[in-house]
Amino acid sequence: MATETAIEVVMPQMGVSVSEGTITRWLKQEGEHVEADEPLLEISTDKVDTEVPSPGSGTLTQILVQEGETVAVGTKLGRLGGTVADGSAAEPEQAPDEPEAAAAARTSGEAPAGSAAPTTERLEEAQPEPAREASSAGNGKAFVSPVVARIASEHGVDPGRVEGTGKGGRVTKKDILAFVEAGAPAKASAPPAHEAPQPVAQPQAQPAPTQPQPPAKAPPQAAQALEQTGETLPGETVEPMTAMRRGIAEHMRRSLDTSAHVTSAIEVDLSRVVAVRARLKQEYQAAYGVNPTYLAFIAKAAVETLREYPYVNAEIRGDSIVTRSFVNLGFAVELADGKGLIVPVVRNAETMNLLGLAKAIADIAARSRSKQLVPDDVQGGTFTITNPGGYGTFHGTPVISQPQSAILGTYALVKRPWVIEDELGNDVIAIRPIMNITLTYDHRLVDGAYAGRFLKSLRERLEGWEGDEG
Amino acid sequence: MSEMTYLQAISDGLRTEMRRDKRVFLIGEDVGVYGGAFKVSLGFQEEFGPWRVIDAPLAETAIVGGCTGAALMGMRPVAEMQFADFVSCAWDQLVTVAAKQRWRASTPVPIVIRLPSGGGFSGGPFHSQNPESSFAHIPGLKCVCPATPEDAKGLLISAIEDPNPVLYFEHKHLYRRIKAEVPEERYTTPIGKARRHREGDDLSVITWGAMVHTAGEAAAQLESDGVSTEIIDLRTVMPWDRDAVLESVRKTSKVLILHEDTRTGGFGAEIAATIAEEAFEDLDAPVKRIAAPDTPVPFSPPLEKAFIPQVEDVVAGLRELAEY
Amino acid sequence: MAIAREAEPVGSLHEVREAGLDREDLLGIYRHMLITRGIEERGHILYRQGKIPGSFYTGRGNEAASVGIATAMRPDDVGTPLHRDMGVHIVRGVEPWRIFAQYMGRADGPTRGRDGNVHMADAHLGLVAMVSHLPAMLPVAVGCALAFRIREEARVAVGWFGEGASARGDTHESMTLAGTRKLPVVFVCDNNQWAYSTPTYLEFATEHVADRAQAYGFEGVVVDGTDVLAVHREAKRAIEKARAGGGPTLLECLTLRMEGHAVHDDAFYVPKVMFERWAESDPVERYRTWLREHVELSDKEEDEIASETKKLLNDSLRRAEESPLPEPGDLTEGVYAAPEDLDTPHHK
Repeated sequence: MATETAIEVVMPQMGVSVSEGTITRWLKQEGEHVEADEPLLEISTDKVDTEVPSPGSGTLTQILVQEGETVAVGTKLGRLGGTVADGSAAEPEQAPDEPEAAAAARTSGEAPAGSAAPTTERLEEAQPEPAREASSAGNGKAFVSPVVARIASEHGVDPGRVEGTGKGGRVTKKDILAFVEAGAPAKASAPPAHEAPQPVAQPQAQPAPTQPQPPAKAPPQAAQALEQTGETLPGETVEPMTAMRRGIAEHMRRSLDTSAHVTSAIEVDLSRVVAVRARLKQEYQAAYGVNPTYLAFIAKAAVETLREYPYVNAEIRGDSIVTRSFVNLGFAVELADGKGLIVPVVRNAETMNLLGLAKAIADIAARSRSKQLVPDDVQGGTFTITNPGGYGTFHGTPVISQPQSAILGTYALVKRPWVIEDELGNDVIAIRPIMNITLTYDHRLVDGAYAGRFLKSLRERLEGWEGDEG
Repeated sequence: MSEMTYLQAISDGLRTEMRRDKRVFLIGEDVGVYGGAFKVSLGFQEEFGPWRVIDAPLAETAIVGGCTGAALMGMRPVAEMQFADFVSCAWDQLVTVAAKQRWRASTPVPIVIRLPSGGGFSGGPFHSQNPESSFAHIPGLKCVCPATPEDAKGLLISAIEDPNPVLYFEHKHLYRRIKAEVPEERYTTPIGKARRHREGDDLSVITWGAMVHTAGEAAAQLESDGVSTEIIDLRTVMPWDRDAVLESVRKTSKVLILHEDTRTGGFGAEIAATIAEEAFEDLDAPVKRIAAPDTPVPFSPPLEKAFIPQVEDVVAGLRELAEY
Repeated sequence: MAIAREAEPVGSLHEVREAGLDREDLLGIYRHMLITRGIEERGHILYRQGKIPGSFYTGRGNEAASVGIATAMRPDDVGTPLHRDMGVHIVRGVEPWRIFAQYMGRADGPTRGRDGNVHMADAHLGLVAMVSHLPAMLPVAVGCALAFRIREEARVAVGWFGEGASARGDTHESMTLAGTRKLPVVFVCDNNQWAYSTPTYLEFATEHVADRAQAYGFEGVVVDGTDVLAVHREAKRAIEKARAGGGPTLLECLTLRMEGHAVHDDAFYVPKVMFERWAESDPVERYRTWLREHVELSDKEEDEIASETKKLLNDSLRRAEESPLPEPGDLTEGVYAAPEDLDTPHHK
């Protein structure tokens, strides 16, 4: 008579350190009836040879392990009752076999089938305090762990500016390291006495500060490179790199390694801008003490164009793209004596009119040169304009300032013979002030057509400048 | 090299030393004729004779005190407590006499006490304990806890060589379950040095004994979630390898301490306190501990499973740590 | 009902000669007893002067037992004397100045200030430093004997314990291991009849502690602990028996603890009559009388010995007082032994 519920026959544990056993003889055949406690099979282990009494009464419906086989303690050897060889998993034998099963599973490398309840209980006991919620002043980012605080302090970074992926939105060590890696703006040393503000190189790359915490990369490599070159030849002079130079070197390299740099160029006829500027120049100087430079005009046009082409003002973070409703416009400023470059930022440029921009640009340029910038002035840029054209160059391929996605280059304003259409629609040659403007963009995010449209739109604004504000 | 179980490696280490150095002898209950309750000394009395493999009366104080006296006279005794749990009967000899002799009387006591420890097979309250923390607390004693066959052999040889009283915790549940390649020749594993069982970047697990393998299984599961777990096998609980632990903590900034011994006052507490003191600014999460609850070791399997940290407990703990 | 053999007092000088003691030896024993007593008397004074920190224990009344047994030991035998056995240290050759330095916690004491009163031993002289948990040194003494047995060396270990400590399991386990294996160890019970304030009948239920020896498979002997020559004779018998492979003996030396448990204890619980009775049997006095009678100890010799002893103790005290107190900075040194530390005479 088959019992209603099948009973498992398992390999017993004959001694605390025994982990397996061998079936030497089945004393019953499949289909035979056996009484509870009656000897059912014989086994052999490290410790002892013994008979295994039947765990219950019933028909031995299935033998799962044959004579001569060695199996781990807890392995199912056979089944009593249920349907003959029905293959369905019977109720697992209560508790006593579980640790063996678990042990067996462990031995064989499987994850043991654990019961959830005891686990949870113990976990609760083991961790009586609930996991600490990031203390929040509302945004969940207020809690800063010790390591994050240290890294933030070493790099002059405000953890509040870092996007947090930790519990409750807190900034984790990974988050801040990634932020720093990606070129978090360095702390410009406040005391002007300090030799160089944290390096920001010419075309760009936000550096990690080299002073407080030398990045794992540049300084040792720089030192190493120097040593590796061996003896100097006659005529060679060796000078050590300054911290700023090392920073620039490191960040240039990193930016090129990070972004897929592509440059598109467009030639812009700035005759209207020239005219407006001539008109406004005296007025602005007199009334506001500020010079409306071409840069201000271009900046204004660029900021407006960025509204239509947000990816040019965006950032890649992990697998996400972050666009903004604001533009923090960076301007490359060359420091005196070729010591290096810095990129101060005009925040929320989208809220400024031409005059405002002109003033802001003048201000940061002045403060850059007189070393009066504060850390906020060099952080948080979303787009940068660089102006190498001061020396007459008409084209270039600047390096993007990480973690931004594009940089605008303005070049020499050159009077050129230009084909225009006269009032009669005929092609005539006129002398026009032409400026080449480049957009270097990160092709991971911005495609060529998009960049092209941006430049076209920018040109249209500049060439169609009307009134004071364009 | 030869494949050995953890138990065979212990035997091999002991046999190697007994062959090499006549001063080494084994004393314990049932170690001679019976070959030891776990058969570690099977065949030893036949080889070394009854005065080097000594069947002791049921008298742990006499066994351990006897070892102390013999060690003072130049021998290198190895005592086997039948179960680690019985070492409490010899507590006084270890803590009062052996531990303090070098410091106060300038006479070292080079003894080894072998302690079959740990649970996982329904041994119940008196056959399953992991008493390392109470002895780690006593200045003058050393405590080692090998997790692998290779370390089992090397640490036993080092323990015998060491001029101090060394408590050698051999985890019974690893005896026959763990096999590995072990060098056949004599070698030592340094006492006081941890071993990186698994390299990782995101989380550190500091553990020893059988829990090393539990941690390993948990770490494998987390790998498929993209979380990389480093496991430091302390190997020696006293003196423990602070540098190795702190180095790992500084790397990952998230650490879990795991031990089979009960939680309160378990050795993990000392490690956690040290990490907080020495690596505070490197922590990106609170220092976690997973350990057995503060109860005697239960007998019935569901209770014992709830007592001994399981793979899934460690997985849950690691996940929580990763997400912090 | 006593089972142990009660030792006869020493009879003639002839018997003593047979035990291998010549006149020099006999006078030497006397000196040792005087020094033993002298150190403790002086220590008592120092303690009350505040020059000895902690507590101070003496073995007044036990001078014969300690000196007698130690005299019967051979140089390469070892022992684990306790706090009533100052005589053992003296006989083995520990210099009195080091004992004073030990009492006063000085850096040149045997434990460099790390342990106090008589918790000291000179390993070079075959002695093992005692602990407070009595009789934890008995298993250790048995272990020493085990080493001798394994190595088949003709050496003997002597382990001391008090009648109070006999109540503790260490005694039983030690005697079990020693008896079953016939190890070359002699168990000496200093029965001074009071374990702090606890009388003997609360520590053991037999007539003698030595009665228990039979239960462990060896002989038990009770001897008058104030009779140094009788103690010596019995000790010699027991030690040589062990050396010859005859196994352990339990030698119980009966005396009275003539002072409190420690200096702070005035022993009010000891009946005055006991003090009076046993004062008549003062070991030093007894022996002095015997010497005068049997080996013609003259006044001159006696005075010489006395003044030498006095000078020795004065010089020793002065030297000990010159020893500095230990440096706290060295506190954590030596918790663990380094391999080099194993090079002590014991470890051969």
